[in-house]
Amino acid sequence: MRPSLQLYVRLLTRYLRPQLGQTLLLLFVLCINILLQLTNPLIMRRFLDSAMAGGSMELLTRLALLFIGIAAVQQVAAVSSTVLAENVGWRATNALRRDLARHCLHLDLTFHQQRTPGEMIERIDGDIDALTRFFAQLVVQLFGNGLLLIGVMVVLLREDMRVGAAIGVFVVVTLLVLGRLRNLAVPHWQRSREASARFFGFVEERLAGTEDIRASNARVFTLFRFYQLLRTLWQTTIRAELLGFSMINIAWFLFSVGAAIAFVVGASLYFSGALTIGTVYLIFHYTNLISQPIERIAREFEQFQRAGAGIARIQELFATESRLAETPANAMEATPLPESGDAGQTGALAVEFEQVRFAYPMDAPPEEATSRNGKFTLDGFQLRLEPNEVLGLLGRTGSGKTTLARLLLRLYDVDSGRVLVAGRDVRQWPLQQLRAQVAMVTQNVQLFQASVRDNLTFFDRSVPDARIWEAIETLGLTEWYASLGEGLDAPLQIGSGGLSAGESQLVAFTRIFLRDPGVIVLDEASSLLDPATEAFLERAVARLLSNRTGILIAHRLSTVQRADRILILKNGEIREQGDRGALASDPTSHYYRLLQLGIEEMGAEELVG
Amino acid sequence: MTQISERPPISVVSAWWGLIRCFPGLYALTTALRIFIFVGVFQANGLIIRYYFDSLTGSAPLAWGPNAWAAVVLAVALLRNGLIFTDMYVFFRWTFSTAATMRKNLLEHILSMPGARSLPSSTSEAISRFREDADEVGNFTVWALFLLATGGFGVVALFTMARINLRVTVFAFLPLLIVVAVANLARVRVQQYREANRFAAGNVAGFIGEMFEHVQAVQVANAEESMLGHFEELNESRRKNALRDRLFNEVLNSTFHNVVNIGMGLILLLVGSALRDGSFTIGDFSLFAYYLTFVTNMISTIGTFFARWKQAGVSIGRMERLLQGAQPSALVRKTPIYLSGAFPSTQDVSPVQAKPLHTLSVSGLTYRFPGSEKGIVSVDLRLERGSFTVVTGRIGAGKSTLLRVLLGLLPAETGEIQWNGRRIDEPATFFVPPVSAYISQTPSLFSESLRENILLGLEADDAEVAQAVRAAALDTDLEQLENGLETVVGPRGVKLSGGQRQRAAAARMFIRQTELLVCDDLSSALDVETEQQLWERLFARQDATYLVVSHRRRLLQRADQIVVLKSGRVEDAGRLEPLLERCAEMRSLWEGRGSDGAE
Repeated sequence: MRPSLQLYVRLLTRYLRPQLGQTLLLLFVLCINILLQLTNPLIMRRFLDSAMAGGSMELLTRLALLFIGIAAVQQVAAVSSTVLAENVGWRATNALRRDLARHCLHLDLTFHQQRTPGEMIERIDGDIDALTRFFAQLVVQLFGNGLLLIGVMVVLLREDMRVGAAIGVFVVVTLLVLGRLRNLAVPHWQRSREASARFFGFVEERLAGTEDIRASNARVFTLFRFYQLLRTLWQTTIRAELLGFSMINIAWFLFSVGAAIAFVVGASLYFSGALTIGTVYLIFHYTNLISQPIERIAREFEQFQRAGAGIARIQELFATESRLAETPANAMEATPLPESGDAGQTGALAVEFEQVRFAYPMDAPPEEATSRNGKFTLDGFQLRLEPNEVLGLLGRTGSGKTTLARLLLRLYDVDSGRVLVAGRDVRQWPLQQLRAQVAMVTQNVQLFQASVRDNLTFFDRSVPDARIWEAIETLGLTEWYASLGEGLDAPLQIGSGGLSAGESQLVAFTRIFLRDPGVIVLDEASSLLDPATEAFLERAVARLLSNRTGILIAHRLSTVQRADRILILKNGEIREQGDRGALASDPTSHYYRLLQLGIEEMGAEELVG
Repeated sequence: MTQISERPPISVVSAWWGLIRCFPGLYALTTALRIFIFVGVFQANGLIIRYYFDSLTGSAPLAWGPNAWAAVVLAVALLRNGLIFTDMYVFFRWTFSTAATMRKNLLEHILSMPGARSLPSSTSEAISRFREDADEVGNFTVWALFLLATGGFGVVALFTMARINLRVTVFAFLPLLIVVAVANLARVRVQQYREANRFAAGNVAGFIGEMFEHVQAVQVANAEESMLGHFEELNESRRKNALRDRLFNEVLNSTFHNVVNIGMGLILLLVGSALRDGSFTIGDFSLFAYYLTFVTNMISTIGTFFARWKQAGVSIGRMERLLQGAQPSALVRKTPIYLSGAFPSTQDVSPVQAKPLHTLSVSGLTYRFPGSEKGIVSVDLRLERGSFTVVTGRIGAGKSTLLRVLLGLLPAETGEIQWNGRRIDEPATFFVPPVSAYISQTPSLFSESLRENILLGLEADDAEVAQAVRAAALDTDLEQLENGLETVVGPRGVKLSGGQRQRAAAARMFIRQTELLVCDDLSSALDVETEQQLWERLFARQDATYLVVSHRRRLLQRADQIVVLKSGRVEDAGRLEPLLERCAEMRSLWEGRGSDGAE
């Protein structure tokens, strides 16, 4: 963990600097708190000595009241310092969370497809949570407790060199022993956590698979595996728990040693007349007082290491770079955008695939790369779409339809050849501008558990309602949106019982319309639609495509009616293409046969494929 | 859900008692140890401190020299540590065993429910019952002990102090007790703040999940910054909630801790004159200071105990919901958990004597999903030995439901199932290997080796497994897996495609050599050729009887009998040609107009 020390410092300075004021205030309150904690026992000593010496009642009362007052103020200081530290910690780590989330959001899909959302939650929230505690506690626990220990040492040394030295040796030895022992239990905890993850993972999977267990008559076997994993969990857990507890036990014993030292030193020096009874009590009291800081410091060191593991993972994430290299600024100037392609300027754009060759990266998930085994999904693919032209794309699953769309949006980069939008290589476009101009509606529209508005604007609160309603109206969806409930604030019902696939696409259309792109790729929902939704979709698609270049990945022949040109893909190659009208009236074409049979996708697949 | 309200929920006390009855020895031992540690050892510690100071000031006879004092302190510490260590083992064993007992009872019960409806809610919710709620109840029983032990200590302490100085005891401790008790009441608020904090934290985690689950949509929509804007809002809301939670907690905690300091002050205020005249010694003072911590702890323990009690009640209620109407006491039923010793058998002792199938007939089978009209209604069906029956129909026509109800994976409302003319009362326990095998549309693979996934406890040699793998057309896929049959698959292993999963399930089916093969639609995840190959290998077994869901033309052509389902009812049944002539629905399905090709 040594090398991460630099990382700690870099993180601390980077994220604490914006809150310098708060941090300084925190340190100040912390020092006050410690000073008060050191002072009060001294007052008690004075009280005890005065009482034994028969001091005046007035003095005793004053001392007692002072003691109570200081205890009260110290309580306020203690609470304030903890809360301040917590605040600083949250602010700092929230900034870190934001930076990390931003970095990850901009990484390409290859990165995301290897990671589940749960993993991302763990990386962005889980790892940083450990850091939050670290930020908040490091100051209070390590710094504050360290200061308190030093303070006690100083006071004791001033009382009597021998006392200070004895307790000092005790503190150092205890810290060393505890620090060394701490790590003993760590690998065991690791094992116990693994066993626990395995055990609950087992239960979770079996609960999800009861149907298979029942139908395969595997109940008894399932219980047998349950017992096995339970025993492993027990054996690893009890070892870790007992070892972990031994550490605490040893700490307690060491504190008893501290008390014994205080007793011995106190008694001998008292009898030799070097100390008053009040001072003996003071030593005893301080020895008790420092036991907690010692324990905390030893524990924080472990936290420190755990946070170190988190920091290392965070650093690793920050170091991951997108495979889609951003266009350097000068390259942008080198090939100026054609007049129609000015960012923000609407209008249909031309699209061209030039000798495109592409294979999914080997680490892409199987459902993504349908044809892998080293083969290219596209090889020497050639296609040009004029501005305003609408292409109907047909072909069975895995023929490369969706791949074309992904390349156009630059979710992946081609291996060779070029994809051009408005005459310009997509790699030369700034990614932001490219995706502002090229929009895609996927088959499975990704919806958020949020209001209609947030779903339409992607949580962009700056989009005025009027603009949203205008888009809805233009698409002819006012009636449909009205059916969802209380306007834009209604929570969108997603999942089973919520929006159907077709209805989700209506939401996606509105999203896109709000952004007003020049090229639209529409991967039609393939499931059956009810007639009402179908009618809404028809109307909306028509409005969406007006004055835009479009690629329709069609699953119903009725949708392709809208296309100017038809292209049938097979294994990444063009099997047939041509003007829709011409193909439809040419009895030798595949398209003609599809139309004649009235076969929709399933049949079409067998025919085309 | 209705079954639950009929039974009174099991109370915390009876759950507690039930668990004690499961492990009476452990609980008795940990009780005895705790009481001895608190009332015996911790008391002794305080008395030693008192005696030490008194002997220094001469209030008590000087018994020992300084080194002897140290020896006594260390001896008591050793005794204390030994006892606590023993207690910890017993305590961990008890909490682990009680939670494990509840977990096993839950799992066993869930596995005895109709397989396709075994959980009342989502798996992730069920798993948090297994994880957190079982622990919660186990831990509660220990808090009860802790309360007993600290309570015992507190009573002895108050008694001792009252004998030393009643006035100081009353005036110094009473206000403290009140403060702590009031602070305890405020813990209700803590719960609220904690909930709010948890909610805000859940929002943050949930949003990260959504953001990255839908990352493609976000990137394609250029919406990274607006998403981050919302993320920051959620983060900020969490910071505020966390801060409020922390502030409130800190105030309470420091009340408990610092009340000790203020209590010391109060004692100082009260004992001044008594100290001067020697009626109150420094030793008495040190003992009072020692007790202060314990007594305030005791009060806060009472608060925690009641909070835990309430929480345990909630947890028990939630776990009972998973039991779906079984006797509530089933949760804490005494049952072996095999933490040590020999494991039980791995084999189901199948109650079914597999008589060769001659006819399987179903009449009037009805099942409707709760709260909906969807399902199947009065379905009649007859399968002859060696026949091939295809069930077909549109999305939602009830095809999969029919298979599940027949197999007992969903409970039939009405209807009768007869095997060779004999009525089957419990289809769920009857329709298992070696009588029948079943491939669902989305079979589950578990995170174990492929071999174990196929065998699921069955004993078979390598040759048999290899044969089943070949029959399931899985052999070529197997070659690509690094460790072959020993490759760990499932959620935590190599992720197989939907088609590979179905074929693994087919291998599961083949190796069991059953009379009846039941198979849901395979076309969704298999390409035409692989499916074809699979069917050919399936048909190689001459004597088996098949019941499958499909709309593939080749299978429909081959079927001895096609059952056309429409809205849960049998529209028509027969061979393909006559059906195409007389049944409009069949024609429509055949031509693919209404087919659910995307299913």
